[in-house]
Amino acid sequence: MTFPKLEIVNLRKLFGNESFVALDGVDFAVEAGETVALLGPSGCGKSTTLNIIVGLEQPTSGDIRIDGRSVIGIPPGKRNVGLVFQDYAVFTHMTVFENLAFGLIIRGRAKAEIARAVHDVAELLGMQNSLKLSAAELGGSELQRVAIGRTLVTKPAILLLDEPLSNLEASARIAMRRELRRLQSEIGLTIIYVTHDQVEALCLADRIAVMNAGKLQQIERTSVICKKPDHVFVAGFMGSPPMNLLRGEIIGDGTSAGFRRDGLIIRLPSSEAFATNYVGQPIILGLRPESLTLAAANEATICGKVAVVEPRGPEAVVTVEAGTVSLKAVVPTAERPQEGADIGLLADPSSFVFFSGETGRRLAS
Amino acid sequence: MTGRKLTWPLAFVLFGALIVSLFPVFWIVMTAIKPPTDWNASPAIWIPSHPTLINFKTLFDPDSIRAYGVGGVSQAATNSVFGSLLASVVGTALSVAIGLFAAIGISRYANGGKATPLIILSGRMFPPAAIAVPFVIIYSNVGLIDTYRGLIAIYVAGTLPFSTWMLKSFVDDLPREIEEAAMIDGRSRLMAHVFVTIPLIRGGLLATTLFVFILNWSEFMFALVLSYSNVTTIPVQLARYVTATAGTLYGVQAALAVLAMIPLVLAGLLIQSHLARGMTFGAVKR
Repeated sequence: MTFPKLEIVNLRKLFGNESFVALDGVDFAVEAGETVALLGPSGCGKSTTLNIIVGLEQPTSGDIRIDGRSVIGIPPGKRNVGLVFQDYAVFTHMTVFENLAFGLIIRGRAKAEIARAVHDVAELLGMQNSLKLSAAELGGSELQRVAIGRTLVTKPAILLLDEPLSNLEASARIAMRRELRRLQSEIGLTIIYVTHDQVEALCLADRIAVMNAGKLQQIERTSVICKKPDHVFVAGFMGSPPMNLLRGEIIGDGTSAGFRRDGLIIRLPSSEAFATNYVGQPIILGLRPESLTLAAANEATICGKVAVVEPRGPEAVVTVEAGTVSLKAVVPTAERPQEGADIGLLADPSSFVFFSGETGRRLAS
Repeated sequence: MTGRKLTWPLAFVLFGALIVSLFPVFWIVMTAIKPPTDWNASPAIWIPSHPTLINFKTLFDPDSIRAYGVGGVSQAATNSVFGSLLASVVGTALSVAIGLFAAIGISRYANGGKATPLIILSGRMFPPAAIAVPFVIIYSNVGLIDTYRGLIAIYVAGTLPFSTWMLKSFVDDLPREIEEAAMIDGRSRLMAHVFVTIPLIRGGLLATTLFVFILNWSEFMFALVLSYSNVTTIPVQLARYVTATAGTLYGVQAALAVLAMIPLVLAGLLIQSHLARGMTFGAVKR
């Protein structure tokens, strides 16, 4: 079986007399069998993107291509794209079986074929015994399973999931996440997954696309995006806690360079670019909390006072105040310092990321 | 319903409410089976010792009451029952059908802009008495006076704000995604509404239908001023039994009132399971 590839081409969407720009030139492609997570704050255009892919909304300009063919103008039922909603959208006036069979009945399939397909999907989702129940009797995670099953039964080429787990309670969410992973590997669908839960995105996606204010900020492999964000927005959004962002300037004498923010000076690895090109320019230095380690004062890059310690199981998040700067570091819980103590932090220069203080874009180093 | 205990004070209040709401019904039913001598007796006769069906007979044979030595109305009530049924059933069906599409259009597509719901409601902002006379003049000029068409038209116009607003609240409460899901499964926009929206708001649809039917069934003023002799309805006929010329036929009036109650009670019983949910005005379980 060959899966189609989805291309989103320079998508723009204006709402309300063209006064509100919901999508502003969103452009990316999804490979067959790949799972892409769309991440971003509320109102960034994630759901609008899905609605346009499935055909519930028309783009103001731009194109959606499946298998290289434009699907603009094709009604939602004929695109072979499935969408699972956050609010389940299960028909509560029907039984589970009728819900699962809905799409196939509309497509005019034979009774025996429908029964077989519904049975297969019910087995996949572990719902064989609930087929005769009215959908109104089901609980949250069962409703979501019916919603996913109703979409899967029509064998869509592309599956879109719009925050499918966010209405579930924590334990059901973890169970469903595991189930989705299993479905992913068993069926090998092409999936676009909208979520605001980064753990979910990191757990399920091959690549993560971060959106903000209608723009695609970055689309990158899951393993890379936290370490090499393209933009300060992505840096400040990804990870928990997110990257420390220090606004300051580059100082240098032509051979060595440093980063200065008020009284704080951090020596930078020698690099000609920094020593010459960026000297005197406003810059934002990104430090991943995981790259900061506790160190003795004489070895430390940054010295400060511990403001807050938040243990989170095996790791603790330590907030350190150093002059006008507040930094978060992740340390093993067993080695966590006392609140109020003076400590030193050692930063690994190879993990430094620099952004332009003007555009917010990552600078080549 | 949550399992709230029936305590003595609560039972007392409920019993009081029951008496207040059922006493008029009891009195009407009793009066309907009283012979003329008992209608207006003092002290009041609560339960007649010689119940009779003469009042019901008089409804369809106006002269039969004369045997009791009381004056009568020359017109049988048959016409008014037919008139009420026709105007109320057709008027309600049209009002709910138009209101349903208006509600979906407003709720889902904001058709006509934000002001549409208010404009539809504005018809109810006038006291009916204020627009009755202009309607008499308009109806006389266009030849709609004393016709069922005319009466049905005014019933549809009068109840459309209710049916639109009530149904709109039910559609508003239904998540839009559920129709979109049907569309993704291959239904057209219209068919998604027919097969998903309408079945899911059926409780509200029934409640609205009954509510509008009650409004139309009990409407008096427009039926009175927009008709002469051709068209008549039960409320108009009821008024004819207590007039200066016809005398005071309380028993006959009560008999017609009992007949008029029957369809409402039956409809209420048939759809009460839907009503309990529908009458909470759009509280669909999500």
